[in-house]
Amino acid sequence: MRFAEQFDVIVIGGGHAGTEAALAAARMGSSTLLLTHNIETLGQMSCNPAIGGIGKGHLVKEVDALGGIMARAIDKGGIQFRTLNASKGPAVRATRAQADRALYKAAVREALENQPNLKIFQQAADDLIIENDRVVGVKTQMGLDFSAKTVVLTTGTFLGGVIHIGMQNQSGGRAGDPPSIALADRLRELPFRVDRLKTGTPPRIDAKSINFEGLEAQPGDYPTPVFSFTGSRQDHPKQIDCWITHTNNQTHDVIRSGLDRSPMYSGNIEGIGPRYCPSIEDKIMRFADKSSHQIFIEPEGLNTHEVYPNGISTSLPFDVQLAFVRSIKGFENAFITRPGYAIEYDFFDPRDLKRSLETKFINGLFFAGQINGTTGYEEAAAQGLLAGLNASLQAQEKEAWSPRRDEAYMGVLVDDLITSGTKEPYRMFTSRAEYRLLLREDNADARLTETGRKLGLVDDHRWSVFSDKMEAIAAENTRLNKSFVQAGSSQAKALDQFIEKPLSREARLMDLLKRPELDYQKLMSVEGVGPGVKDEQVALQVEVQAKYAGYISRQQDEINRSLRYENAPLPVDLDYSDINGLSAEVMQKLQDSRPETVGQASRISGVTPAAISLMLVYLKKRNLLRKSA
Amino acid sequence: MSATEIIGSSEQTEFQQDTIVALATPPGRGGVGIIRISGAKASNIGVAITGQVLKPRIATYLNFHLENDQVVDQGIALFFKNPHSFTGEDVVELQGHGGPVVLDMLIKRIIQLGVRMAHPGEFSERAFLNDKIDLAQAEAIADLIDASSEQAAKSALKSLQGEFSNKVHNLVEQLIHLRLYVEAAIDFPEEEIDFLSDGKVEKDLRAIVSSIAQLQQEAQQGAILRDGMNVVLAGKPNAGKSSLLNVLSGKDSAIVTDIPGTTRDILKEHIHIDGMPLHIIDTAGLRESGDHVEKIGITRAWQAIEQADRLLLVVDATDKDPQASMQDVITFLSSHIQQLPPLTVVYNKCDLIGSTETLKQTQSKTLFLSTKSSQGISELKQHLKDCMGYESTGDGVFMARRRHIEAIESASDHTDKAMYQLTTHNAGELVAEELRQAQNQLSEITGEFSADDLLGRIFSSFCIGK
Repeated sequence: MRFAEQFDVIVIGGGHAGTEAALAAARMGSSTLLLTHNIETLGQMSCNPAIGGIGKGHLVKEVDALGGIMARAIDKGGIQFRTLNASKGPAVRATRAQADRALYKAAVREALENQPNLKIFQQAADDLIIENDRVVGVKTQMGLDFSAKTVVLTTGTFLGGVIHIGMQNQSGGRAGDPPSIALADRLRELPFRVDRLKTGTPPRIDAKSINFEGLEAQPGDYPTPVFSFTGSRQDHPKQIDCWITHTNNQTHDVIRSGLDRSPMYSGNIEGIGPRYCPSIEDKIMRFADKSSHQIFIEPEGLNTHEVYPNGISTSLPFDVQLAFVRSIKGFENAFITRPGYAIEYDFFDPRDLKRSLETKFINGLFFAGQINGTTGYEEAAAQGLLAGLNASLQAQEKEAWSPRRDEAYMGVLVDDLITSGTKEPYRMFTSRAEYRLLLREDNADARLTETGRKLGLVDDHRWSVFSDKMEAIAAENTRLNKSFVQAGSSQAKALDQFIEKPLSREARLMDLLKRPELDYQKLMSVEGVGPGVKDEQVALQVEVQAKYAGYISRQQDEINRSLRYENAPLPVDLDYSDINGLSAEVMQKLQDSRPETVGQASRISGVTPAAISLMLVYLKKRNLLRKSA
Repeated sequence: MSATEIIGSSEQTEFQQDTIVALATPPGRGGVGIIRISGAKASNIGVAITGQVLKPRIATYLNFHLENDQVVDQGIALFFKNPHSFTGEDVVELQGHGGPVVLDMLIKRIIQLGVRMAHPGEFSERAFLNDKIDLAQAEAIADLIDASSEQAAKSALKSLQGEFSNKVHNLVEQLIHLRLYVEAAIDFPEEEIDFLSDGKVEKDLRAIVSSIAQLQQEAQQGAILRDGMNVVLAGKPNAGKSSLLNVLSGKDSAIVTDIPGTTRDILKEHIHIDGMPLHIIDTAGLRESGDHVEKIGITRAWQAIEQADRLLLVVDATDKDPQASMQDVITFLSSHIQQLPPLTVVYNKCDLIGSTETLKQTQSKTLFLSTKSSQGISELKQHLKDCMGYESTGDGVFMARRRHIEAIESASDHTDKAMYQLTTHNAGELVAEELRQAQNQLSEITGEFSADDLLGRIFSSFCIGK
């Protein structure tokens, strides 16, 4: 049966990528359908119950700056908030929160249900309807056909998913959910490069069976950091502690004795797992000299006793899991509520995607989330938002948009994926961003909200909050630039408590703020200089901009230089063997990656400046060279 | 406003190009050395160097200054206002008296003023991209970029042999090692590895600052600029090496330098020809010796041959079997060193034999000349220049090394700043930024090292992950 209503955008999958994609498309005014195999699992956190962290928190703030749901949902569902790297500089500070799974899910579900232009339908998608290399709709399990101008696929680990516990394995999308076999088979028929990845989870434990006495408590920060630029502390539910325990030699012995039945070490698992999130058996084998590993005991919610022992993800047989868990301090009588497992799944080589996350081979088809080889809710949400907004732009016959590497971690994420592909589940780290000092959590709104507004992603409320904040920052910057402290004045004397040598001549307030000994609060504590602005976010911006001024302008110069041919488009059908002088290796890399722009080509590893020069000359010769896309 | 308009607006900005500098003439002791500067800063550089505002298209004879108005050379300065220049950008040409040291000092000064060294073929590339070269020449430009980048790579490789290279590589290793700790501390704050606070980073950084300072000092002493550009003359006694030497150097300009140390005097002499150092090694002197001191001399001579950019094998064409004599020498050389440098066979005394036809069947490049009648000498000089890479692109060993020195100096600047950020502000993220920049600079010498490479090293060094 063909469903009568025509959609602009259909999103398949209701995880973190799918929900952001559907919400973004609908916010932009596209009639959107979210297809999920189970409405009850919308916004589900299938791995650890936490949002944010270094690099990831940055992504969450960017999603928020573009009107996404993730930050607002975690503000409503977060039960322990912390600022990581608080002692380091603002560029690398990041927010992280433990989530109450149920509260988080409810917040996402509420947003979905109240979003105009968005409809939700429960049914597994079995097939894509493709005409002349363009996707025109989706066929569901029961044979229902939905028509759409564009389709966003966010199927997570469900494509060809296989779950491993010990030597046993079974098909599954995640524990308790069926995999998408039909869709995986169908997609394998399309001309995409497919490979396998692996990820894992730890066994979950009943907190009633844990002895917390003698374990180290890990409280959240107070006052609690807030995730959303439009959020506030009042959104936060009751806050609780996490706990820390450690593995020991006995744990390691038990694990070693069970390795012969490990699917990782017996070769049953072919997919590649993440190096930064190894299973406990991997940690013990690869770092044999370490006699103890940290375990973070994370509560799953306020109204459940289940905890998530973060740090012992495993695919060992259940009897080994139980034995090693019970060797750990506090877990002596632990009752495992769900066994740990590893899951292998299909992912598509992201080098087959454009910057908009549209596939290069099938027009109108977009991929987002783990299907592209990434891991993490935040990475998924960022891609979902981008894919959703670009699907909507295409449905409205507008040009695609994607932030550059110097504009957002989202830009770094997409550029890394489409340029270099990935061999392991890709996770964001701040060290991936060459413009790390510019891409901060604190200025994600300043970097993106204006564009988001133009794209139609940002509602009136967020826009007015944002505009007020920007005006306040500008006003305070102006005041600090125009005001001076005179040497010998009472203000100068008050400053003496903070600075080494007394002021010898008049000093601009802005220059004083740049001094290492001073910060905004100290400066404003001086009578006649302060009290300054009340809004702590505004004060933070003024301070950070002052402290980083030299570095910001240096990075800006770097960016300006790199932009000349950044967006010069490369023809999709460019035959690289036609370009004189390219080495066979470079040629192969360019053929594999098929970069969209000269800028992207220049970032492929092994592509030299000389190779770029040769490409430019070749393009110019054929009148194909344009400086802007 | 539509998305298309948004995109349009952000990309219509005119992005500036770097201003670039390079030597436009073959380096060496030529009559004139031309330095070319192209880009928006060119005319300001012209003012800084000459002390005058240069009028377009007017040749002015004036002084060239370094910092503190120190006069280093005199010559002609020319300013070409865009678009009426070779590259289509503002171009300044400084025509001085050649001399590698003077030219190097000037280039160094220009770089200090915010200009960067041109990539191989970059002037021509800009000329082409700015429509200053027509389509018919396009293919040649591509070839030029290709050839000069390949040649620059070879030159760079060459200058990176031996001690200097080891030092640079060790330095990069030290730097990577330190970055592992700094970046891990930033990206994995929950892993109990906060090295920023425990003094390790400062200790390691001090070590790096000191090794980079040492390297910089060595580089500034000119050792790298001068060493290695070697042509070695080898051959049997009386093949005519000394006569060739005299002819090549010209009797008046020949600078025959005695290398200190009695033993090496016997084996090795060196001279300059057009600014190129030439080492002459008499292979007859390279015999087995029991004398300890002489042994050292012999070892050094072999090293010189091994590291030569070119080996001129001088053969007496009047020998009974010249090809057999040549083979003898090659066999002898091959038995002592693993890989012979690029080889040119030079038959001397060709004025005394009738036909050279029979001698042409050899794989190596072969030249025929006579030191007595001077026939073939200019061909040899041209051949030497060609194989030394002294083409008009100005790329070759000389520029490659200037690039290396620049990279080291710039890296040193960044590590100093890193130290300041660490000790004054305790700003880990700024230390990380400076170290990243330092490594970027050095990667011009040692090859790229991506963020992913760094993460790979972190994951294999530390047990990371929940």
